[in-house]
Amino acid sequence: MLEATNLTKNYGDFTALNGLDLSIKSGDIFCLLGANGAGKSTTINLFLNFIEPDAGQATINAMDVTKHPKETRQLLSYIPENLMLYSNLTGLENLDFFCGLGKKHYDKEQLEELLKQSGLQPDFIHRRVSSYSKGMRQKVGIALARARGARVLLLDEPTSGLDPKASNEFSELLLDMKEKGVATLMATHDLFRAKDTGTHIGIMKQGILIEDFKSEDVSFHDLEKLYLKHMH
Amino acid sequence: MRNLLSIARKEIKIALRERLVVSLGIIILLLLGVALYGGYLSYRQQSRIITEKQEEKRKEWLGQGDKHPHIAAHYGTFVFKPKTILSVFDFGLDTYTGTSIYLEAHYQHEFMFRPAQDHSSMIRFGELSAALVLYVLLPLLIIFLAFSSYTKEKETGTLRLLLSQGASYSSITWGKVLAYSILLIVILAPYIAGMFILSSRGLSSAVVPDVAVRTVLLVLIYALYIFIFLSLSVWVSLKSATGRNALLTLLACWILLVILTPKAVANLSESFYTLPSMRAFKEGIQKDIRDGIDGETPGPVRRARLEKEYLTRYGVDSLHQLPFNFEGVSMQAGEEYGNMVYDIHWEKLRAIFHRQNSMGSIASIFNPYLAIQHLSMALSATDLYTAIDFEDKVEAYRRELVRKMNNDMAQNSRYGEFYEYKATRELWDEIEDFSYVTPSAFEILRYYKLEMISIVGWTTFVVLLLHYSNRKSKPIHG
Repeated sequence: MLEATNLTKNYGDFTALNGLDLSIKSGDIFCLLGANGAGKSTTINLFLNFIEPDAGQATINAMDVTKHPKETRQLLSYIPENLMLYSNLTGLENLDFFCGLGKKHYDKEQLEELLKQSGLQPDFIHRRVSSYSKGMRQKVGIALARARGARVLLLDEPTSGLDPKASNEFSELLLDMKEKGVATLMATHDLFRAKDTGTHIGIMKQGILIEDFKSEDVSFHDLEKLYLKHMH
Repeated sequence: MRNLLSIARKEIKIALRERLVVSLGIIILLLLGVALYGGYLSYRQQSRIITEKQEEKRKEWLGQGDKHPHIAAHYGTFVFKPKTILSVFDFGLDTYTGTSIYLEAHYQHEFMFRPAQDHSSMIRFGELSAALVLYVLLPLLIIFLAFSSYTKEKETGTLRLLLSQGASYSSITWGKVLAYSILLIVILAPYIAGMFILSSRGLSSAVVPDVAVRTVLLVLIYALYIFIFLSLSVWVSLKSATGRNALLTLLACWILLVILTPKAVANLSESFYTLPSMRAFKEGIQKDIRDGIDGETPGPVRRARLEKEYLTRYGVDSLHQLPFNFEGVSMQAGEEYGNMVYDIHWEKLRAIFHRQNSMGSIASIFNPYLAIQHLSMALSATDLYTAIDFEDKVEAYRRELVRKMNNDMAQNSRYGEFYEYKATRELWDEIEDFSYVTPSAFEILRYYKLEMISIVGWTTFVVLLLHYSNRKSKPIHG
């Protein structure tokens, strides 16, 4: 579903991503770990076609994102570290608007149901987003991914700053999406969440994917040791 | 297209929930309402006064009693510049050109009762006309409406979300432009309706026969002007990293385009093409009439030549033997010589006006504010060329009046009996009341080709600019 082949990105003399090869299938949750500047967000930005690669290729559903930006964006949903919605609109209005961009149209009851299924408290559905916590906004993001019928989820540190309860709720939503065959690429610092939620884990360092393994093949303790080893 | 409309709907919803935008919109609407209503009251009052005074002066002319035609020519009359219904919208030069002019033989009097004379020095900053609100204050509303259109999306991260959901830069940009255009149309709709109602009242006006065409053209050029400012504001926002930068850039542009450049152009054109003082202008005319244009044919010489010419042409020895009163012929010849001198001086003066105006027109290519200002005055029939047209028609009327008086004197009185002859009401009736009709909008617009090119050129430029920028933009540079 998601594939990177020799994906490379340079910023002047600095190599942000160096020959990344990656494959994420439907129903996989690939967690990318690594320090700041390791190349996690660059990878996501390349799949989003927000930046152009200097070499290699990023494909979604076998389509090169640089050549088929419209088609590939129709397949994906993106939730950044701090999902900012339009604060003057309600959660429901935001969802309605973003669904409209993806050519998906739902009536009010369906949108309310989507938000409820994504864990948003019903009394917040019609409140302006300016009164939402970060966790609530992330839930609207998940509702949006569901509403759009996204086949690919790109998550850039989505649980950063969430309290454990909200973080756990978010993980459950991801697992639910996984069951529906959604391919997820998640950049994160959260080792526990990566081990708990991810099907695959990769560790990046200085733009290179230095470790790539199934999460079931490693214990949390070993994962932590491995991660710390590469951070030094 | 669907994304564009979705984005436009979202922008409208958000803007309507922004207090600043709503407050500014209400302020602009109130100012326009006050300006329009004030303009209309002023128009009604001045039109009434002008009509009354014109009738009063007509009665005085017709009822002046029997008298020598030349005395009647000096008794003269007043003509009044009629207010046009569109001056309600844009006062233009009406404040400075005066409302009435005294007509008599030998003299081309200047306009009297300039409204600006009754104002304090604050008049230099312009009167509160609807046009002033539209071309000076409305761009400020546009700036406050659109400066953060993109920067806020960038700063909050919603731009990345928008793009990731399949929206293109093109649909975002044009969606925003469409949304703000709709908002401005809603804000301006009551005013535009008011303008059309007032204009339709003036449709029967004999002064401006093509009010409807002018009103439609005014709405069109203002729509383009607003579009230019709107598109530029969105573009600056697209190119700026922060809302603060965008706002400062746009305010700097506003000050440059609306405040500094017009003043600089006016000052430069005055410096390059200096007008003579009124005193010097009049003295020049008097000197040329007195000494002759070549400086060697003073009045007595010209008269002697004329006498000789007529005596020869009619084969007589004395002016008394001519079959008409030579005094009438001589006075008309003197009048025509004076007219010729006046025309020469007046043409020189107008050439300076034209050069000064040309500088403004050239500058308008670089500044749409100047273009809209000139076109607005032109279409409201309150511009320089309409004023000149009025002066020309008044002068033609004055010359015809004097010519008829002199002809009557030549034909009906005898040489030497100057004051014995008295013309009657019949002659005064022959002078039709002065009535003025403005040139058509298209005739006047011939003088404003550069301004029209400017508005069309700027519109094309901003469309291309946005199109190009949309294609080249990326949410992350690198």
